[in-house]
Amino acid sequence: MTTDKEPGFTLLPKDLEFKVKLLLILTIATAIAFVLYVMYARGVFEAKQRLTLVVENAEGVSVGMDLTFSGFAIGRVRRIALADDGKARIDIDVPRTDAGWLRSTSIFTLERTLVGASKIRVFTANLQDPPLEDGAVRPVLRGDATEELPGMIAALKNTLENIERMTATEGSLQASLGNVRTITERMGGRQGVLGGVLGSEDNAKKVVAAIDRANSLLTSLGGVSARLDSALGKTDSVLGKTEQRVFGAGGVMDETQKAVAQANSILGEVRESLRKVDAVLADAQVVGTNAKAATTDLRALRAEVDASLRKVANLIDEINRKWPFERETGIKLP
Amino acid sequence: MQSNVAGEFLDWVASWRRELRFAGYALAATLSPSTYVAATRTVAFKQIYFTAWQILLPFTLFAALFSMVFIEISLIAARRFDLSQFALELIVRALVLELLPLLTALFVALRSGAAIAAEVALMRQSGELEAAGENLLRHELVPRVAAAAISVVSLTVLNCALALVLAYFSMYGFSPWAFEDYTRVVGSVFSVPVMAGFILRCMLFGAAVAVIPIVAGLEATGRVKSVPVAVLNGMVRLFFVLGLIEVVSLAAKYI
Repeated sequence: MTTDKEPGFTLLPKDLEFKVKLLLILTIATAIAFVLYVMYARGVFEAKQRLTLVVENAEGVSVGMDLTFSGFAIGRVRRIALADDGKARIDIDVPRTDAGWLRSTSIFTLERTLVGASKIRVFTANLQDPPLEDGAVRPVLRGDATEELPGMIAALKNTLENIERMTATEGSLQASLGNVRTITERMGGRQGVLGGVLGSEDNAKKVVAAIDRANSLLTSLGGVSARLDSALGKTDSVLGKTEQRVFGAGGVMDETQKAVAQANSILGEVRESLRKVDAVLADAQVVGTNAKAATTDLRALRAEVDASLRKVANLIDEINRKWPFERETGIKLP
Repeated sequence: MQSNVAGEFLDWVASWRRELRFAGYALAATLSPSTYVAATRTVAFKQIYFTAWQILLPFTLFAALFSMVFIEISLIAARRFDLSQFALELIVRALVLELLPLLTALFVALRSGAAIAAEVALMRQSGELEAAGENLLRHELVPRVAAAAISVVSLTVLNCALALVLAYFSMYGFSPWAFEDYTRVVGSVFSVPVMAGFILRCMLFGAAVAVIPIVAGLEATGRVKSVPVAVLNGMVRLFFVLGLIEVVSLAAKYI
């Protein structure tokens, strides 16, 4: 052999044949194992059921593609064919072990994404539904991200145009900003925030006039209370006369007592109404906190009312002193 | 000049015809039972020993290193582009189906092809070949062709299997739970046509590595200077054929 003739060449080992056989056996075993593994991987040893999906456009679908359920591959596309009605038929093999996920109410979708391969998915809402029969034919819902792109771009363009129109010199946004400027200018004007809120100087003036009128109303209320005061004065004189009549003539005690009781109740009512006036005045004070002049008026008015009340209280005290009803409930007639 | 070019072209065609004729002869002889005698078997075993066994360990280590680098690059690139779900398919398609068989064929061509071509050319130059005649062709060269082809296929199968195992561990670590996922990808890549194409290509690589250097060696003449020319021509032709097989197979698969 050539190897024996040439110097420096490796000498043949004694177990050459064993080594070569070992290599060949290893190779053949690896090859067979790999072929079996690929057959297992392709589901040759699994019992399968057929599912046919009908779709308008099978673009992006390829043989060997997965059918996924909850992100797990449960089937594989075996064949794609164009049917007589012009629709694509996708034959899918689903191993019997995974067929339980397919129910008669399952929904199949074909989704095309911008990046990556298309996906065929199955959604099963109720796993208690009857299982999908072998050889079932089902329609597919298509969801195509790229198909929606033109519509999306059109909508986006529209939106951008709107924004452009809004922000243009004549646009509504500019007009709104102009309005805001007018309002703030008015607020900075003579009538202040009131002018800004009410829209014009005139309206603000009206409000100021209304406040003035409220002030004058309060003043006239003061007048009313003064008149009340004089009325009380008159009552005072009447009572004086009554007293005179009681002391002078005598025998009219009953009537006097009634009159006094009436006067008492009237005075109570007067006090009540004065209390109401007081409340009204308190309200008016709240309303007119801005107007200092009004509060001064109110203070004077209240002082007057207080004075009146004090007088009335004095009067009642006086009546009580002169006719001590409280101490003697029974009245002796002469 | 014109006639020179034409003459070269004719020589080129003639040498290719010789290649094909010898390949056909080798195939016929391999298939005929009369070739399988103890002597041819010994020759074949020796050839396998020198071509495959001797380089098995260093070449496997080299192929494993190459595979690891390729797998890591693919994984890092895929993760960076958020396409890691396609990394395994890329690795199987590019590394296992294309690169490793080609790498193995080139390695065996360098390791044994050049040696066989030189040996045959020297036998031709010394006239040993003519003296032995038809018998030598049948009982010496044909078994060596078969053995070289078997060596290429054997090394390819072992290294591809190793690369698949390495790909699994590189991708998923030592977890056994990714096996189903991995199996699914392997199953989807190795369809029947792909598998058939892979086997066919391995055999073609083996045949090219075995036949072309021997025929190139046979082209040597009695002159000493014709030996290196014959070897050189044989190696160039072999690399060209390997590249052509690869390109044609890729075109058939993906175009």
